[in-house]
Amino acid sequence: MLLFSVTGFACKKVIDVDLNSAAPQIVIEGNINDSRGPYYITLSKTVNFDQTNVFPPVTGAHIVMSDNLGNSELLIEYSAGIYRTSSLQGTPGRTYTLNVISEGKEYIATSTMPAVVAFDSLTLDKILLGNKRQWVFNVHFKDPAGVKNYYRFVEMRNSIVSPNIFLYDDRIQDGEPITSTLTIDTLHDRDLIVVFFQCIDKGIYDYFRTAARIRGGRGSQSASPANPLSNFSNGALGYFSAYAMRSKSMIVP
Amino acid sequence: MMKCIVLLFMSFLYLFVAPAQTASTRNKYTLNGYVKDSHTGEALIGATITMKELPSTGIVSNAYGFFSLTVAEGTYTVTVFFIGYKAQSQQVVLDTNQKIVFNLSEKALEQEEVVITGEKKDENITATRMGIDKLDVKGIQSVPVLFGEKDVLKTVQLLPGIKAAGEGNSGFYVRGGGSDQNLILLDEAAVYNASHFLGFFSVFNSDAIKDIAMYKGAMPAEYGGRLSSVLDIKMKDGNAKQFNVNGGIGLISSRLTVEGPIVKDKSSFSISGRRTYADLFLKLSSDSSINQARVYFYDLNAKANYQIGDNDRVYLSGYFGKDVLGFGSSFGFEWGNATGTLRWNHLFSEKIFSNTSLIYSTYDYNINADFGGNTLFVSSKIQDYILKQDFHDYIDAHNGLKFGLNSSYHSITPGTVSLANSPNSNPLHINDKYSWENALYVSHEFKPSPVLSFEYGIRFSSFSVLGPGVFYTYDDVENTIDSLSAGSGTIVKTYFSIEPRLAVNYILDGESSVKASCARSTQNLHLLSNSTTSNPTDLWIPSSNNVQPEIADQFSIGYFRNFSDNTYEFSTEVYYKNLQNQIDYKNGAQLNFNNNVESQLLFGSGRAYGIEFFLKKKYGQLNGWVGYTLSRAEMKFAAVNNGSYFPARQDETHDISVVAIYQSSDAWSYSATWVYNTGNAVTFPSGKYSIDGQVFNYYTERNGYRMPAYHRLDLGATWQGEHSGWTFSLYNAYGRDNAYSITFQQDPNDRTKSQAVQTSLFKFVPAITYNFRF
Repeated sequence: MLLFSVTGFACKKVIDVDLNSAAPQIVIEGNINDSRGPYYITLSKTVNFDQTNVFPPVTGAHIVMSDNLGNSELLIEYSAGIYRTSSLQGTPGRTYTLNVISEGKEYIATSTMPAVVAFDSLTLDKILLGNKRQWVFNVHFKDPAGVKNYYRFVEMRNSIVSPNIFLYDDRIQDGEPITSTLTIDTLHDRDLIVVFFQCIDKGIYDYFRTAARIRGGRGSQSASPANPLSNFSNGALGYFSAYAMRSKSMIVP
Repeated sequence: MMKCIVLLFMSFLYLFVAPAQTASTRNKYTLNGYVKDSHTGEALIGATITMKELPSTGIVSNAYGFFSLTVAEGTYTVTVFFIGYKAQSQQVVLDTNQKIVFNLSEKALEQEEVVITGEKKDENITATRMGIDKLDVKGIQSVPVLFGEKDVLKTVQLLPGIKAAGEGNSGFYVRGGGSDQNLILLDEAAVYNASHFLGFFSVFNSDAIKDIAMYKGAMPAEYGGRLSSVLDIKMKDGNAKQFNVNGGIGLISSRLTVEGPIVKDKSSFSISGRRTYADLFLKLSSDSSINQARVYFYDLNAKANYQIGDNDRVYLSGYFGKDVLGFGSSFGFEWGNATGTLRWNHLFSEKIFSNTSLIYSTYDYNINADFGGNTLFVSSKIQDYILKQDFHDYIDAHNGLKFGLNSSYHSITPGTVSLANSPNSNPLHINDKYSWENALYVSHEFKPSPVLSFEYGIRFSSFSVLGPGVFYTYDDVENTIDSLSAGSGTIVKTYFSIEPRLAVNYILDGESSVKASCARSTQNLHLLSNSTTSNPTDLWIPSSNNVQPEIADQFSIGYFRNFSDNTYEFSTEVYYKNLQNQIDYKNGAQLNFNNNVESQLLFGSGRAYGIEFFLKKKYGQLNGWVGYTLSRAEMKFAAVNNGSYFPARQDETHDISVVAIYQSSDAWSYSATWVYNTGNAVTFPSGKYSIDGQVFNYYTERNGYRMPAYHRLDLGATWQGEHSGWTFSLYNAYGRDNAYSITFQQDPNDRTKSQAVQTSLFKFVPAITYNFRF
């Protein structure tokens, strides 16, 4: 496919496809991490494909976040569809449960915040892709031995979060110093780059692993594209992630 | 299946009653021998040998050109027919056993209209089997395909009941079965990945191929191991008379074949090679992002045979092919098949033909990629070691018995991932899988009367899952609840299957017949592929403690009729297929490099049914065919679409192929092919949502939508001189934008909107090929 795109055999055009409408489904995006709160939970709904990209917020939901040590709090609606915590503090090693009740249905997700892994350094390199130089970021860290670790990297360029999903697991490098390479689409001198290094649990890794397959319309390459594997019960879309995070920033020289 | 078993039982009863009826007091003698091409000495497969005095008697030459016919003493006019060849008649006084080699000569073009045509014209009516397509390799030469590359797999897809898996995909679907349910044999060795260039070309170089038979209905008892079809491809033996070099220079690849006698008329060889050379032009580029790219494939077919005395002949054949994709030293991806077959033909008596084969087949891929200052290596391999023994007892003019056994050892290395410089390197090695597959079969061809014939048989098969290995058991939510460590050579689990096969033909009159067949087939190697294209990294897994053998029961009935002195052949077949233990994938399944891949699978059932129409004009300057299939293929999995039947990906309601070849009186021939099919069943989004500031598509049901209908016209013209020829072709002549994929994405010009973008490949692709022989 790539080959034929290069040789100019492929052509693309926008077409009309008559798609069914679907009953609106709840979408929950929730995070808690080991930096200081508050933490935000966003509730919205799906819309039909031909509608504009305005996603109705879900208001008036009853949301409780709790941890396995018995701490729990009711979140307050901070703005339409956005709810936030006021006292809970994310702590590595604890398991968090998010309980959402909306329009008579209950959605529950749990996520365990892994131990922090040190983010040793961030380097900027140019690799040669043919005679074109491609900028890449190398994230250097040492994987803890004997435990399964899952990582997610979030790239932010001049305060804009990159849509790329970068994941790594230690299946073949358990306990080793690891260099993970992140590509970036565009980069200019003096750009401010921040890389967030998240230690995530298996459920969240699976969510992003499967989300990456359909991101940006990629699902067309799969014989059976499907919604990402959510850690919520009762068919809610989205995820609830408890992660430990470190970050590093640099200014492109 | 019960009906099938009852019919089988009745047929067996008939076997014991029948000899009494046919017994004759006269002495019986055997006429046997071979049918060969007079010019090349190449054995002719599927030639019909008849006796004028016994109109209902006939036999077909086997895969090695051998035939044997035992009849009462007498004088007979024996006529041998073979498509594309002049018929040959000979008076034979059969008062003792006789051995004759028939050397048939090819019809010259201008003789096309001559009354004595080579084919036994009514074979469509008289052959017992249904659902078989014999492709004439010479016919393929005049059917144009993409880039002018002649391709047996693409041409097979023009027949009714056989559907293309998509633009630029060598995969195909037979009567609603998946693309892994076709057994593709090259000189008896299974070819695991029949495609090059990610599916745009097949691995079969048509210069090296002699014969192609496609079984889409009830397969004969000697075949097994796949549910839907058998595509049996046989390589050329090589010219036993004289040395020959022929080849072609095309847009994409060049081909060269060298063949000749090792010992004249006794032994010959054939070597064919093919290589693409687009990459050689890439090297000329000054742009290092292009000139370091490696993109090519090659194929090598080689075969030799040697006759030892009157009753023995040995054959050694092999295939080796590879695809290479790469970039400098930073990325490399190679994959390919290799097969080897050593065969020994032996005549135990004038009536008993035996073939013993030792077969090796392998498919593997290797990847290396630089990243983060390290190099990643990935590799995977599947290997088969097979012993096959087949006997054919040509009992008499009414009875023939085939029996034999097959023992295969499969070894699969699903994948190894390692890093070049890791201090405490712990490569990821997915457990190797070992299995042992055995089959015993017997099949009786029985012709109790001139209008009735049967071919029925039974295949007993077993599949043993072998150690060493760790065998896991899973609960519903993919947790491992038990594991069993088995040592080397231990049998972990064995599945037994009984597969009845039956075909009946009843001739209504000289011009028409009714045929019926039923068969069970099983499959123990399953391809896991969750992509719309054929991927070199798609994984084969054997049946195991979790994965049961797939089972298909097929019933079909057909009406066959010839018109206008057999110039036109018409047939229609109705089929129903019931499928058990079918495999699909859980949402988000991780298929590659996962030791627990079996926990990612869903098991369910399926059904496929349809009606096929086929009208073929066999003779005259203008010939060709029209095929139409109306069909449905549905799957049912408890976890998909609430457990109700849903259309399989290969469910294409309407499928039409029209092939026309016009042989002009000069050296030119022209051809046109038109295909139309309903789009595949696909999953499209029914909505969208936002998460992490990005728009994601929302999917509700599996295969709830259809791709747009696919249609295309290809044109070809061939000029054939004595030593050279030119082929011109135009693929997709009216430039239809056929959808290769449809992507649902945010509109790049207006982020508040979404759009569907269709990608099409190949509009108006012209090609030119120069062919030569000397």
